[in-house]
Amino acid sequence: MIIGNYRIELEPRLSTPKWLYAAVPALSLLFAFVVGGVFIGLTGHSPIGTLSLLIERGYASTKGITNTLGSATPLICTGLAAAFAFRMNLFNIGEEGQMYLGMIGSAWAGIVLAGHLPGFVAVPMVLLFGALCGALWVLLPAVLRAKLGTSEIVSSLLLNYVALNLVNYFIFGSRGIFRDPTTSFPQGRLIEESARLGSFGTTRTYPTVLIAVALAIGLYWFMKRSNYGYETSVFADSPNTARYAGMSSTKLTLSVLLFSGALAGLAGSMYVVGPAGKVDPGLLQIGLGYAGIVVAALARYNFVAVILTAILFAGLREGGASLQISSNPVPISIAVVLQGSVLLFALGGEVFRRNRLRIRRVQQVSVAS
Amino acid sequence: MGSHRSGGATLFALSARQVTKRFPGVLANDRVDFDLLPGEVHTLLGENGAGKSTLASVLCGLYKPDEGAVLRNGTQVRLTSPRHGLQNGIAMVHQHFRLVDRFTVAENVVLGHRKLPFRLRANDLEDQVGQVAERFGLPLDPRAVVGELSAGQRQRVEIVKALYHGAEILLLDEPTALLAPPEVEKLFETVRAMTQAGKSVVFVSHKLGEVVDISDRVTVMRDGRVTGSVARGEADTRKLAELMVGRDIDLSPRRSRGEAKGTLLSLSNVGLTKDGVDHIAQVSFDVRAGEIVGVAGVSGNGQRELAEIVAGLIAPTSGEVSINGERVNGVGTRNVRKAGLAYVPEDRLGTGLAPSLSIVDNLVLTRDRGFLVDRKSAHAEAEAFIAQLEIKTPNALTATRKLSGGNSQKVLLAREIFAAGNNSRVLVVCSPTRGLDVGAVEAVHKLLDEARSAGKAILLISEDLDEVLTLADKILVLYRGSVVHEAMGDQVDVEAVGLAMAGLS
Ligand SMILES: Nc1ncnc2c1ncn2[C@@H]1O[C@H](COP(=O)(O)OP(=O)(O)OP(=O)(O)O)[C@@H](O)[C@H]1O
Ligand SMILES: [Mg+2]
Repeated sequence: MIIGNYRIELEPRLSTPKWLYAAVPALSLLFAFVVGGVFIGLTGHSPIGTLSLLIERGYASTKGITNTLGSATPLICTGLAAAFAFRMNLFNIGEEGQMYLGMIGSAWAGIVLAGHLPGFVAVPMVLLFGALCGALWVLLPAVLRAKLGTSEIVSSLLLNYVALNLVNYFIFGSRGIFRDPTTSFPQGRLIEESARLGSFGTTRTYPTVLIAVALAIGLYWFMKRSNYGYETSVFADSPNTARYAGMSSTKLTLSVLLFSGALAGLAGSMYVVGPAGKVDPGLLQIGLGYAGIVVAALARYNFVAVILTAILFAGLREGGASLQISSNPVPISIAVVLQGSVLLFALGGEVFRRNRLRIRRVQQVSVAS
Repeated sequence: MGSHRSGGATLFALSARQVTKRFPGVLANDRVDFDLLPGEVHTLLGENGAGKSTLASVLCGLYKPDEGAVLRNGTQVRLTSPRHGLQNGIAMVHQHFRLVDRFTVAENVVLGHRKLPFRLRANDLEDQVGQVAERFGLPLDPRAVVGELSAGQRQRVEIVKALYHGAEILLLDEPTALLAPPEVEKLFETVRAMTQAGKSVVFVSHKLGEVVDISDRVTVMRDGRVTGSVARGEADTRKLAELMVGRDIDLSPRRSRGEAKGTLLSLSNVGLTKDGVDHIAQVSFDVRAGEIVGVAGVSGNGQRELAEIVAGLIAPTSGEVSINGERVNGVGTRNVRKAGLAYVPEDRLGTGLAPSLSIVDNLVLTRDRGFLVDRKSAHAEAEAFIAQLEIKTPNALTATRKLSGGNSQKVLLAREIFAAGNNSRVLVVCSPTRGLDVGAVEAVHKLLDEARSAGKAILLISEDLDEVLTLADKILVLYRGSVVHEAMGDQVDVEAVGLAMAGLS
């Protein structure tokens, strides 16, 4: 672009200075809040006041941050699930459904198996069952992808709707094992007490948050250092090179998708052992699976960064929701606008991290001929 | 500015004056002067990264120079786009083609034409396109779908496209890189037909041999600068090589100095039949320790299949391959490697190396990695290779795709020949210097020669006959999947080999 005597252009950076990795997200966040503030202003509320209230209720108060950590817990898992698949250029869009299946699987284990088991066996078992069911839910898309090359995007997405109807059927459509037998009101049956985890004190943060964080850090380390992580990065970069080196694309594709499904399933399990304690159709309303994809994208598919972006997102949601409970309620859609602009600015900021803005005088050369 | 003719009044069809073009971190063109006479073939010669494509792109309007000017018939033009260049009669055929695969030849050719009638009559277009093609000796079916054409044919489409749009000046960026020898000859005829019609051609190349044949003048570039300009007749390959590389280059034949020892790789009656077609038929030969057996032939005569069979990527349908006495038919790449094979595939960046991964990570690709990858020793190894083989790279963690062709080939060869834990004794190398400049060719040949001296059995499969003649102790010619000619490296009848490659023996 040339304006006057100046030429303005984006130039790819050869290397990214370290400070930019922190500065770009921080600035993106700032811009997102400015845009959000404009919208808040349009609704007739004070932008600064509302935003500071949101920050306080989302992050800066004990109640706020513990609520946020609680709802970030499953979000970290779905975020890890999306990031894990994406690292191998696989797009698992089915975290939502896999999470529902995780909830169903965990509830089943919690009702049927956990009976007389002590907590330290029951809880891990319930979590494991959820993860297994999440993995099973992606088995078909994974096999289709690995064996026939069918796009996993469509097949995993379609299964979300199947999973959704499955949950509805178990609670509203039938009187099966997942339904609370003590009342005619359609709600889930509570799992065994031994299979549940209490929250920390009076907060809504559950110990599962520690598992989620440990998983993120463990995965980060594992994928960086292990042979498995290495093979997936070779395959993601160049399938031909992987074949040349004798790696099996079927094994890698299958295992990555299944593991991604397991992580998403775990999100559902954590919901069961923690706040819900049962198959709870409430989970269908929150969209934690889809949000996981956004959280992963925002974290640029870095497992550790997923922790932060999940907390950021959960806080916007918690803070946004709590704004409604005030003398002068702000519409909840403000939280959605904020989430959207955070994403947009983060992706836009990426351009400036990769490129450098150069402004140069256009030089004129006189021609001797 | 001095002109090349006495009197100084020559009107150049196209010139560059003091053109400078920067890319992040590189000065791709540094005050370049270049002049093109009407009706001449002017070659731009230089190593990879010398700045040839950049200059050509500036001349055709794709890039705007940061400084300097482009002159058309002596007056300055400020080209804003390739289309604008074309309006000034300048067209470029890029190194990587820019065609729409799903369109027919005729559709691709007229694409981008501003004055097309509202309703296209396919027949008329096809006739017009056919006429242009015929006039310049470019056999081409206007109705063929581009996606189904060979590289040579696609290139013809690009040339016809330029001519159809009225190009007076054609810039061909490494047009011979993808062509087989007979196609190159055909291209040269077209170029001559164009200059006879008064058009000028800028021919970009880094292959010394062909340059001397076709050019009226050669301008040599190195590191973004013009290092010399030589007229037809004054140009000999040695001098040009020196201008290109900045030092003396030794491309004289290298042969085994010792006695070849026991057989390490052996093929007997190997055949590959797919869908009733014989891709490889009854191929038998041995490669012994300390020798290079060269397989020559025009590309597409089974070289690739042969290499992949030996490397274990595909299993032969008949016959037997053995490495070090061990039968390895269809045991898979990993096991073939265990049996002692190293393989340098033709496609270095997409197959031999993972392009976005670092040099370090590429060195561990063929190692036994265990549960955790040991990058520490690989890093030390990478640094040793960088120093020893003079690999030009910012550091060992640079992605291989950021290296030039010659340097990435060095990484690949280093891994396949010298890397720790690589106890291979047999090396299969395919077109190792394709697309590399003379300096890098020399380095690669030296490496292969060293590997031979170190007692490896090397199978060199290359479409570049000169390369095979330079290195091989024994030469086989592959034609339609069969070995049709055999000769010892130091007593080759080049003519007989050429005939055999063409299937005429
Ligand atoms: N679009 C680009 N962005 C950044 N750097 C570039 C770009 N194009 C070329 N370069 C750099 O400019 C230099 C000159 O490149 P150029 O493509 O002109 O070389 P070349 O002589 O055509 O080489 P080759 O034989 O490899 O085609 C190289 O260092 C190259 O990496
Ligand atoms: Mg080039």
